[in-house]
Amino acid sequence: MPDPVLTELPEEEEWQVDLGQVGLFRRVLNGRKWYGVDWWMVVISSAMVVFFIVIAFFPGLLATYDPLEQVGPRFLPPGETPDAEVLVLRPDSPFESLEDLAGLGRVPTAVVQGAPSSEDVRSEADRISDELDEAGSDDQVGLRIVRVETIEDMIAAVQTGEVELGVGSSAELEPLLADNPEVIIAGPITGEKGGKSFPLGTNQIGQDVLSRLAWGARVALTIGFTASLFSLFIGVPLGLLAGYTGGKFDRGLTLIMDSLYAFPGLILAIAIAAVLGPSIVNVIVAIAVLYIPTYYRIVRGQTLSTKQGLHVEAARSIGATKTSIMRSYIFPLVIPSVAIIFSVNIADAILTGAALSFLGLGLPPTTPDWGIDLARGQEFIQRAWWLITFPGIAVMLVVLAFTMLGEGLMEIFNPKLRKQ
Amino acid sequence: MHPLLLIFLIFGIPALIGLVYVYSRGSSGLRTYMTTRIALTIPMILILATVVFFVMRILPGDPIDSTLGPKGTAEIKERFAEQHGLNDPIFVQYGRFVGNVFTLDFGNSLIQSQRPIVDELGERLPATLEMIIPATLLALGLGIFLGTRAGIRRKSASDYGSRIFSVMIYAMPIFWLGLLFQLIFGVWLGWTPIAGRIDPQIPLERTTNLLIVDSIITLNWAALRSVLAHLILPTLTLGLVLSGVFLRLTRINVIETNQEEYVAAARARGISQGTITRRYALQNAMIPVITLIGLQVAILLAGAVLTETVFAWPGMGRYLIQRILSRDFTAVQSVIVFFALFVAVISLAVDILYSLLDPRVRY
Repeated sequence: MPDPVLTELPEEEEWQVDLGQVGLFRRVLNGRKWYGVDWWMVVISSAMVVFFIVIAFFPGLLATYDPLEQVGPRFLPPGETPDAEVLVLRPDSPFESLEDLAGLGRVPTAVVQGAPSSEDVRSEADRISDELDEAGSDDQVGLRIVRVETIEDMIAAVQTGEVELGVGSSAELEPLLADNPEVIIAGPITGEKGGKSFPLGTNQIGQDVLSRLAWGARVALTIGFTASLFSLFIGVPLGLLAGYTGGKFDRGLTLIMDSLYAFPGLILAIAIAAVLGPSIVNVIVAIAVLYIPTYYRIVRGQTLSTKQGLHVEAARSIGATKTSIMRSYIFPLVIPSVAIIFSVNIADAILTGAALSFLGLGLPPTTPDWGIDLARGQEFIQRAWWLITFPGIAVMLVVLAFTMLGEGLMEIFNPKLRKQ
Repeated sequence: MHPLLLIFLIFGIPALIGLVYVYSRGSSGLRTYMTTRIALTIPMILILATVVFFVMRILPGDPIDSTLGPKGTAEIKERFAEQHGLNDPIFVQYGRFVGNVFTLDFGNSLIQSQRPIVDELGERLPATLEMIIPATLLALGLGIFLGTRAGIRRKSASDYGSRIFSVMIYAMPIFWLGLLFQLIFGVWLGWTPIAGRIDPQIPLERTTNLLIVDSIITLNWAALRSVLAHLILPTLTLGLVLSGVFLRLTRINVIETNQEEYVAAARARGISQGTITRRYALQNAMIPVITLIGLQVAILLAGAVLTETVFAWPGMGRYLIQRILSRDFTAVQSVIVFFALFVAVISLAVDILYSLLDPRVRY
């Protein structure tokens, strides 16, 4: 006979079983009720960090152009379409593009005197003719250029039928179009509808700002991650060793580290970068040296307090060696703080890297880097606000993401750390 | 009179008088602490000088190559090395270098008429001081004010606002903030000049190179107005960036002291919130903030280098960058050592102040 008490227990509902199996993800999701603002901070900043890492690995996702090539006009403001040579036609015109002119003989075309339009339209016509030639057709695109005084004259010539079409720059034509409903713009002479677009504008040498930003993410994150890893690998073992052994070694090392910590890091990095010369590896070395004391101080402090712990005492009494105590009994307890410092440290390293390249030290001047872009942009501050605005926002967002991630994790895992 | 000497008279003499006064009136514990602390400054300067020396000499870059550039022939290099004692054993060089640090004799600049570096620093240091002193005051005032408000009204709108401000300001590159100010106030609104210390067309006799002091001494009000207008943006940039750190620390400490039992006791006695904040919470919360000033010197100087570069401010930081770019390695080395001295002296001053305020640290 079954035990009556046991049978009365309700069976586990299906969703409860699911919850037990779903595990980590669900538990993380439920954390928001417990940790509130800090949980949201971690989630949002993790998303931002992931975004920037993806961009760093695949800059092509955002960058439509080569960051080092001149791809458009100079100083194009964000969002504006670049100036293009366009065809002006009557609405009832039988043609829509230059290709339609093939085989019609020399078509009268109005061009404003002295404007680059005449040369551009002629070379485009030649190109189409060559293409037709290669395709085996005898047709040619022929133009009879009619020079007129002003752009208004050109529109008038098209309207009256004096010429079949006109060519002029879109920037000049568009404002005039409203007053002249008898003509239409049939698109750029090259036939592509829409043409190139530069959402964040172009810089002083016609490079796309957005493409440079995307490639700059790669440079910034490389510097941030590598420099922080480098100082972690030096600072953490030194901190463990000094904290655990104590004595003269500890005192001497701490004095050195404290002096380094008190010294303006950027100035030390400037000196190192200046001596080493411009290259990304040298920037990483210069920055890594600065942040060794940060890891050292935290790890040493935590080692000092954990080495009093009972588990360390026990390990020592069963004859564990110094190295194995440090490795297996103290180091694991230090990991959470090191991870947090690491995140904040990446942010700092990115800031310092940007500062170094802003000062013209460290990176070769052709690198697509945010700091370099800001320094260049300063020269054109009077006429191009977008050159200094967007790289700065990029630096700020990356730094914000890593700092918030570190801070949020700190609040969640180790609220005491903040005071150190 | 040498400008550096004048600067010392203006800032150093009052500090020394204060030091002697505190020492003569202090308890024996305080005296011991002060003696130890002053004695400890010497190894600190030594370590920093050593780090600078080794960074400049031992790292792969060669001072001879980096000064002469690619055009130096073997013969020129040899003569250069002889002239600057670079052929001596490294320890002899090191000893000479450290000796020079303590006598403030940095030698002559390698470029531009080879002036003594001490003279050049005498022109640049006042410019830097004139910018960082008001910036520090602004940072302290703003940081403590906002931090206290946020700490008292925890989880209120002003608390979250202050925290967002401090996080944003932390993430903002200081040079970008400077550029934005230039763009908004200088270019778009046209309110302030965007570069330099003074309108070059205004004549001003320079004695201390602290232009505010100079223009007041000579009663040159046009110059004073120009100097102040030029000072606004750099001070605002540096001050705002520094204020974020003070804000965070003040807030945390006010929150902590507010939870102390003596604050609860004061509240139970019916003392008003304003008095509690001023007399009980804030005074104790200030102690860690003052220690922080010492650590902030590093950030302050790094920020000054960047701010000076952005605003073409003829101070120490810009001098450093210019000399790095023109490969004047004696000047670079000297400026960095000078920064180290500056850090050491400020942290000494802050520690002594700290020991005066908080008797627990004296040992």
